[in-house]
Amino acid sequence: MRSTTLWRYLTLSPTLLLFLFLTVLPLASLFVLSVHEVEWRDRIAHWDWVGMANYAHLAKDTLFTAGILNTLIFAVVAVSFQMILGFWLALLTQRVTRGQLVYRTIFLLPILVPGIIIGAIWKLMYSFDFGVVNQLLLYLGMTPQDWLGDSSLALLSVIVVDVWHWTPFCFLLLLAGLQSLPEDIYEASRLDGATGWRELRYITLPLMLPSIIVTFLFRMILAFKVFDEVYLLTGGGPGTSTEVISFTIYRRFFTEDQAGYGAAMSVATFAVIAIAIAAVSRIMGNKDPEAGV
Amino acid sequence: MSIHARTCTQAPTCKRLLVSSMALGTLLASSLVVAAEAPITIVINQSPWFPGFQSVVEKYVEETGNEVELDVNPFAGSLEKQRSAVRTEKSPFDVLIMNAGFFVEFYKGGFMQPLTDIDADFGLSPDIYTFDDSPYWDADKNLISSDSGKLYSVPVNPNIPLLHYRKDLYEENDLSLPTTWDELYANAEVLNDPPRRYGISQRGQREAFGVTYDVLPYIWSHGGAIFADQKGGDFTVTINSPETYAGMQTYLKLANDVGHPSTAGQTQTNVIQNMSTGRAAHILAVLSPGLFDDPNKSAVVKQVDYAAPPATADFPSSPPLGHWLAGVPRNIPEAEQKAALAFLSWFQTDEAQIAYAKAGSAPVSRAVLESDMADEENFRWMKAMAAAIPMAKLTFVIPEASQVLAVTELRFNQAISGELELKEALNMAASEIHQLMIDAGY
Repeated sequence: MRSTTLWRYLTLSPTLLLFLFLTVLPLASLFVLSVHEVEWRDRIAHWDWVGMANYAHLAKDTLFTAGILNTLIFAVVAVSFQMILGFWLALLTQRVTRGQLVYRTIFLLPILVPGIIIGAIWKLMYSFDFGVVNQLLLYLGMTPQDWLGDSSLALLSVIVVDVWHWTPFCFLLLLAGLQSLPEDIYEASRLDGATGWRELRYITLPLMLPSIIVTFLFRMILAFKVFDEVYLLTGGGPGTSTEVISFTIYRRFFTEDQAGYGAAMSVATFAVIAIAIAAVSRIMGNKDPEAGV
Repeated sequence: MSIHARTCTQAPTCKRLLVSSMALGTLLASSLVVAAEAPITIVINQSPWFPGFQSVVEKYVEETGNEVELDVNPFAGSLEKQRSAVRTEKSPFDVLIMNAGFFVEFYKGGFMQPLTDIDADFGLSPDIYTFDDSPYWDADKNLISSDSGKLYSVPVNPNIPLLHYRKDLYEENDLSLPTTWDELYANAEVLNDPPRRYGISQRGQREAFGVTYDVLPYIWSHGGAIFADQKGGDFTVTINSPETYAGMQTYLKLANDVGHPSTAGQTQTNVIQNMSTGRAAHILAVLSPGLFDDPNKSAVVKQVDYAAPPATADFPSSPPLGHWLAGVPRNIPEAEQKAALAFLSWFQTDEAQIAYAKAGSAPVSRAVLESDMADEENFRWMKAMAAAIPMAKLTFVIPEASQVLAVTELRFNQAISGELELKEALNMAASEIHQLMIDAGY
């Protein structure tokens, strides 16, 4: 018995060590950096202990608070739309058998394009003077809008791009989920007289809940890391209207060369996102029929 | 014997592309020249003047047989690469092309090799502009000084904003060249015909060093500033002074009355694009003359002319220096330092400077800017540049420039976008910069 336990620990230890090395060590190193200020003098980096001063400064940092708030709004709104649209598209196409390859390829095109290129494409489309969106508005007799330069529109404009970019991802995962549902339950429900809406409400949605939760969490995690679209479209502006946290960290850490403060920002963001994801998982997990099984 | 350009066009996930930019014929011809120096790598940003620099480097390679590799990056990406390079044991770059906003950080950190320590006989050619003494650094006193400092760099581009105006429209409307902001406003008002054409297009977007650079000509020419007297060591924050406020009001008046409707979202690229497509009657931008006279890229070929930025009755035209300096890091072998210096010596020659101008970039040599070339139509920008350079001033002389810029970029942009009242934005900036300077020990 004892040798079996030992054997288990021995076989597990390489994985544990690798996990520690790849995950815990960088985080610990980031935390250590976050309680220091790094200054270069005579080509040597001087690490000066500042305790929790970097963390204390976070609450007063306009860009950090705006970045956290905008990232939360961005993630919740964008992912919600992506889930609804992705699920709707998956429902529409799940029983289509002809031309599957064609429509799936077309649907999936946006996720195959790198974010930085998508940013460039949409920046042109949103251009006040030359963009196709404003040209269309003019054609319809409407007033052109300053999609990226107006504080009240900029975040919405970035969200639209992200929805366009990532809806196919949700579509793909949810379609796979729908196609794996057992057909006999649907046959039985139809025999009992279930209509389309009742079928969706009482059979499809409950059975799809695990897939929906996984897709939602996946997308939320990715949405919290948004960077490239904002970098190219708005640079975080105008003002702080599209400032997202990964962009703030990048700027503080690299452009401004504040390694200690940037590390504190990263650790704090990690904590906020972990709490947010845990809260969402818990809320959604409570609704999961398989939770606690 | 070749030149390679590694172009990083997608920041921050930088895509690298290795391109041999020499034609086969040139390669064959240059293969007859024996390389005298070790190969060098230059880290540089992708600015409007880059094609001219690349062309001059190609000429150097062709003439000397020495190998040069260009590592090309976006503005912020180049700065980050330079920082990383000088902090390692051996820099992968032999020449750093440093921007006026950030070079002090490299001087003060002890990362750069005084050029006269590599070769005691090396010096700036008397014809090369010194741009507010920025190539000289006194490491003992930590200040820029041509009197007590050593030579740390060679200017490579006089990047200063010039007023670009549509000379065809000026002739049609019988307008005179503006020397004050009020005159510019009056002319812009005449030429403002939105959405077909805006009186002026100004950069207002928040970047690493964007909107701040473009509002400084307004602020300085009204007697305002971010600090009272940086070069004199007086770091009293004056960004919320009445003079700075007046300068910003002039900027906003132009933007709101005769400017582009999306000024807060305009980058340098947008502004230049507005001029090249005929959408702007005026812009205040760094020079890219090759672009405006290229029929493949411009709808206003030969119709753009240049002047020094306007002034006020009380203060002269005050363009900020956004120039670029080439320095040699300490952490490279002696042979590479000498090779870097060989390139910088050659770059200062009249021949190189003329080739640089012909390739579409502004030279840093007085001899070329004030030569007969300035009378040729293709080089009509030279007189404006020569007039503006003596009035140009350094933007920052402290290594904390990037942190100060983070504040000013945000607050100026908020004032332009209307997110904050101008007075509120300037007061917030003043308070934040004041705290930042105290924390930094000033």
